[in-house]
Amino acid sequence: MLLGVVLSLYHFFLYIQDDFDYTVCCKGMYMEYRETVSFVLNGIERKLETKRAWTLLYVLREVYQLTGTKYGCGTGDCGACRVLIDNVAVNACSVPIHKVDGKTVLTIEGVAGDPQLSIIQQAFVEAHAIQCGFCTPGMVISAAGLLLHISEPTEKEIREALKDNLCRCTGYVHIIEAVKLASNKMKEVEDGH
Amino acid sequence: MGIDNSHDTVGCSPYNRESWDKVTGNTQYIDDLRFKGMLHAALLLSPHAHARIKSIDVSDALALDGVHAVIHCFTTPNILYNSAIRFYSDIDPSEMPCTERVFDQEVKFVGDRVAAVAAESEETARTAVKLIHVEYELLPSVYSLDEAVADAAVQATPFGISKTNLCGGWVAYGNQDEASVLQTIKQSPLQSVSTFRTSRVHHGYLEPVAHVAHYTPSKKLTLWTSSQSVFSFRDVLAQLVGLPQNAVRIIKTVSGGAFGGKLEVMHEPVVALLSMQTMRPVKIRLNRKEVFSSTRTRHEAIITLSSGYASNGRLIAQHVYSLLNTGAYAGSGPNTVGAQSGKTFVQYDAEAMYYRGACFYTNTPIAGAMRGYGCPQLMVAREVHMDGIARKLGIDPVQFRLQNLLLPDAKNCMGKPTHQALGRVCLEEGAKQFCWEERRKQAIAKSSGTTRYGIGVGTAVHGSGWYSVYQDMTSVTMMMNNDGSLQILTGIHDLGTGAKTVLAQIAAQTLHIPLDTIEVIEVDTAVSPLDLGAQASRSTYVGGNCVLECAQQIKEQLLEEASLMVGIDEQQFALGDGDVIEMVSGKRISFASIIDSAQKGLHGKQRQIAAVHSYASHTSVYSYSAVFAEVAIDVESGAIKVMEILCVHNSGTIINPAQCEGQVHGGVQMGLGYALSEEMEIDLETGRIKNPSFKGYHMFRSHQMPKISVTFIQGAEPSGPYGAKGIGECATDGVAGAVVNAVAHALGGVSIDHIPVHATYVKELLTQNYRVQ
Repeated sequence: MLLGVVLSLYHFFLYIQDDFDYTVCCKGMYMEYRETVSFVLNGIERKLETKRAWTLLYVLREVYQLTGTKYGCGTGDCGACRVLIDNVAVNACSVPIHKVDGKTVLTIEGVAGDPQLSIIQQAFVEAHAIQCGFCTPGMVISAAGLLLHISEPTEKEIREALKDNLCRCTGYVHIIEAVKLASNKMKEVEDGH
Repeated sequence: MGIDNSHDTVGCSPYNRESWDKVTGNTQYIDDLRFKGMLHAALLLSPHAHARIKSIDVSDALALDGVHAVIHCFTTPNILYNSAIRFYSDIDPSEMPCTERVFDQEVKFVGDRVAAVAAESEETARTAVKLIHVEYELLPSVYSLDEAVADAAVQATPFGISKTNLCGGWVAYGNQDEASVLQTIKQSPLQSVSTFRTSRVHHGYLEPVAHVAHYTPSKKLTLWTSSQSVFSFRDVLAQLVGLPQNAVRIIKTVSGGAFGGKLEVMHEPVVALLSMQTMRPVKIRLNRKEVFSSTRTRHEAIITLSSGYASNGRLIAQHVYSLLNTGAYAGSGPNTVGAQSGKTFVQYDAEAMYYRGACFYTNTPIAGAMRGYGCPQLMVAREVHMDGIARKLGIDPVQFRLQNLLLPDAKNCMGKPTHQALGRVCLEEGAKQFCWEERRKQAIAKSSGTTRYGIGVGTAVHGSGWYSVYQDMTSVTMMMNNDGSLQILTGIHDLGTGAKTVLAQIAAQTLHIPLDTIEVIEVDTAVSPLDLGAQASRSTYVGGNCVLECAQQIKEQLLEEASLMVGIDEQQFALGDGDVIEMVSGKRISFASIIDSAQKGLHGKQRQIAAVHSYASHTSVYSYSAVFAEVAIDVESGAIKVMEILCVHNSGTIINPAQCEGQVHGGVQMGLGYALSEEMEIDLETGRIKNPSFKGYHMFRSHQMPKISVTFIQGAEPSGPYGAKGIGECATDGVAGAVVNAVAHALGGVSIDHIPVHATYVKELLTQNYRVQ
């Protein structure tokens, strides 16, 4: 608990310093340590022996080779590394791995296997919401985080839900349309059409 | 008989061919590539804006466990190059000055390369970088463009012409000599002069710059990079590492956004040299702070426009005087000036026009290609200037522009044909759709309390390819597979824009075959035919024309073989719905059987149905836009909210409307940031960037974006593939002008002289000039 508070504080300090690191949160604060973290990753139970205060992003990309989650800035400002932790969209670059102990993590690779959430991916393709695609996994995750909580969001709610995800290609127009389309499609499925 | 061409797709919006891999996280960008034994590199970047390296001690770094190599200026080739070359022979010192080295003993900006480490992990490499000890001798430096152009300015680099900071040389020409043009302005009934400053902005691509190099014992170097121009990268790399071009293979990976920012060689030579030293694959991936400080930016500009005009609003003469900040190295600086100069003459009509411009060195991050390539600077400065004239004359800004925009099928002041110059049509259509006159009045009427509304317009123009400023060409290889499907090898670089999808559509339309039987294989110097890179909005126009003509050759080969098979004249055949059809009888012959016949030589010469085609672009055509904007300004905070944007574009026939719209939407996002929020702030004491993060560098986010409407004024360009012209750059060129003019309108007709228009500037404008209308 205390560790968590200290980490969070230090984490915040680093955050405002723009000095995050891809590999580890809390650089310089901890020497090597060992901790076992258990979590469910894309439906599979994982037990990981962490040697450092690794970021969740580092673990996903380098330990599990789930490279669909992108490194865009490392400072929690672009959303390219978004994943769902217990159905809430968060930036994996800003989460120390021990924070996911006992939690459920879903990455873009896991979305395809979810019949409900994969509807979002279909909608992104159909709405021409994908250009370079680097922000796409994070956008899909943010959309999933929204639609899991608000099934029929207003445009304003969609814009708010995506505001932590930067995109430089699309002006967000087709992405917002994709989220609306996904919401409609999910509703149709729910209504049994 | 009627031929079913159900596979015709030009004008339809098939999905981007890369979508499914991207949306499922399967696409491998460079940072996702994994190689056995791969090392990770990190850079030591200069903390000083200008210094000479006296010594470098790498012993501590090398002693660190896991470090394999450290390289710097005393251990690497001392070869001068230009990172922005296009043709191999681009060495004209006035256009492509060679000013860069892989590592230079004289560092010229905060973020310049000092040394690089290759280690077992990124973390180790970054730790080792901190253990490199460098002794610097500090040199005087210059950061601002104003200081750099001043007499007796500090020299930012040794490369300035005649001990100034001038890079390359002046670009100066017009339809009359400069003195005559200035004289015509002076003798005009009315004159206006205004100076406008545009800021240094970053491309802000989401994928950080990354490269992987692998040199093997067979003395071959392979390099994966998110490049926009692999062939020129190969030319530079081969020279720097001392290998023949056949031994250097550059593979373009899927681009995570580029916008011009990956057009110039960046840290590729570093990983190449590290791999050659360690014989291991070496990867570098910059962090975001490094992306801001040591990649490329847009050129900061100071542009002065002088115009002479009649009281009825007719422009008589215009003079453009443009100064660009190229940063510490030449790169594409002189070329950007050249490209900017051309836009002077293809937007408005006047009796006399002259452009004079140059770029200057400073000890700041390197400027380079960025979507628009000199054009957004000129367009915003000029559109604000034109609004100033309209205001002075009391003429409506739309009417004023309609009086002066170039006419189609005419000649501009330089005597060049204007082709389909539909800028006026864009403007008229936009004014109608936006209810310009009404809303312009309403904006003033509805401004009350602390909110002021404003409506503005801006026009823009952009070319499709390099011609006639430079030579332009591309090549395509097409091969029919045995089942009648098609492989297209192209050098056209898809940056996520959907260029591959558009090229496939053009091939499908020409051969009447289904889109999903066409494979477009992207750029790899080992397999792709030559191309000059994703730049100049040339992919659809130049690449599309090449694909079209190459597909026609394939069609001729198919018809010829069919004719031999059936024994009747090939004129009697047509392509339709994936088959060759004998028109009289309606008999169908499958591509597969024709290909089989050709390969076995059953009826004629034994051969493969394949073609290699080079297309040289010899027509200079332009795309046009008119952008309309509404803004709301809170006078207490100075905050500007963009309420609505309408973009009307003429890019000829639109091959893929949904993708094309997407280009415009993205261009708007970039243009809004340029106008209102984006600026790389350089500390004028140290030369450091004050805001090298997405937290400090403000790109528009989803909740800040206005409603955007897009209209295309179609009209086939005769020289374009199925009538198409370019879109990529024109999408962003006109946005800032419209927004700034809307802000000026909201504030009662103030003169705005720089971007971005921050809230603090709005408050300044309010105290200086505000008057209620």
